[in-house]
Amino acid sequence: ADFNFAPNSNFRPDLKLTDPEHALNYNNFYELGTDKSDPPRYADSLKTDNWQVRVEGLCAKPQTFDMDDLLAFDQEERIYRFRCVEGWSMVVPWIGFPLSKLLDKVEPTSQAKYVEFISILDRENLPGQRFNILDWPYREGLRIDEAMHPLTLMTTGLYGKELQNQNGAPIRLIVPWKYGFKSAKSIVTIRLTDKQPVSSWEQAAPDEYGFYSNVNPNVSHPRWSQAKERPLGSFFKKKTLMFNGYAEDVADLYKGMDLKKYY
Amino acid sequence: MPLAIKLILFSLICAIPAGLLSFNLLTDNLGANPVEALEHTTGDWAIYFLLLTLSITPIQQMFAPKWFMPMHLVRRVLGLSALAYALIHLAVYFVFDMSADINETLTDIAERPFILIGMTALLLLIPLGITSTQGWQRRLKRNWQRLHKLVYTITFLGILHYALLVKADLFLPLLYMTLFGILMLMRQFKLPRLR
Repeated sequence: ADFNFAPNSNFRPDLKLTDPEHALNYNNFYELGTDKSDPPRYADSLKTDNWQVRVEGLCAKPQTFDMDDLLAFDQEERIYRFRCVEGWSMVVPWIGFPLSKLLDKVEPTSQAKYVEFISILDRENLPGQRFNILDWPYREGLRIDEAMHPLTLMTTGLYGKELQNQNGAPIRLIVPWKYGFKSAKSIVTIRLTDKQPVSSWEQAAPDEYGFYSNVNPNVSHPRWSQAKERPLGSFFKKKTLMFNGYAEDVADLYKGMDLKKYY
Repeated sequence: MPLAIKLILFSLICAIPAGLLSFNLLTDNLGANPVEALEHTTGDWAIYFLLLTLSITPIQQMFAPKWFMPMHLVRRVLGLSALAYALIHLAVYFVFDMSADINETLTDIAERPFILIGMTALLLLIPLGITSTQGWQRRLKRNWQRLHKLVYTITFLGILHYALLVKADLFLPLLYMTLFGILMLMRQFKLPRLR
């Protein structure tokens, strides 16, 4: 199918874009290796043919979608800030559609309180999955209201093209107010649950990577400050914004919560 | 070849990684995160040079090679190279990570054990660099050896600093720690003369 999309000018068209070379060549995607240069180098070992996404769990109409089904949703381009928990950041034009549109199709039941995202498991081909650096497959999770939020994007493209493998092809999540690792790549299963899922990083180091992992300059990572970030390609750091600059849109989701406790 | 020339040549060889790094910096070839590249490369080389420094004595005992200049000079240049790379590493961190702000740096040291450990290693390495000359060796007599045994602690702290920094993949820090462990064990035994 052709890859068609329309720019959505409501999403930060004034931000200066990161050089595409940086976004395409500096990646955390441990399935392809732990070094930032591994994902582009081993991109070919991610097999994306006949990709399907199963949406299941607490819903009336569990379904399996293939890529044509997913590309049939109106694809829009949105410029988002992206902030990695490691302290670097970028501004890139993602292409995709709100996750809520996909979830609406399966009709979540009233018991569905959380959404779990499961990435590809392919130990044979993915070089990073030969080592148990994380408990494969990669898992992430959102609260249902976070998942249904209009900013939460199922992402199929970047810089006007379909997603490159190193960026999580053929379909990934983008949650722009959370640290980058929350935005699971190469997703194969989306599961509606009544219990808070344990994400892979949370399982690996619970004191460092919490379930919420909202971008928050006031809550340090145990080993480094989160007050500043370094935009890719630049030498000096700039101040990190609360909820990565999306406080106006998402702060209400966390009203009354102690964000130091629920980091 | 006169000794002075040999010394200069060997120092230049040890400076090659720094030269390559400068070249890549000036030609904009350090990738998306040049500061991280500078920090990681200089940190790596500081550890490599410390491990090389620690290898000289066991190599001498086992193989008694004919060095191209007196062994203690080879070791001195290697040790001073470790110090040089560690100082560049610190400078990059101070200027680009800490915005050259002393208060911010002190807070970072106080809050983050891996920074404190790295800083301790570097501070301990500085007196070894200063007293590396023959003049200081004469002046300090037996204390010189005692002082320079600190290099064991420094190397351990340097590798620990690295191990505490990585997110999940401990392969390299564990490899360095193993090499360090082997070099330390070799000092506990009378090594066989293999040549």
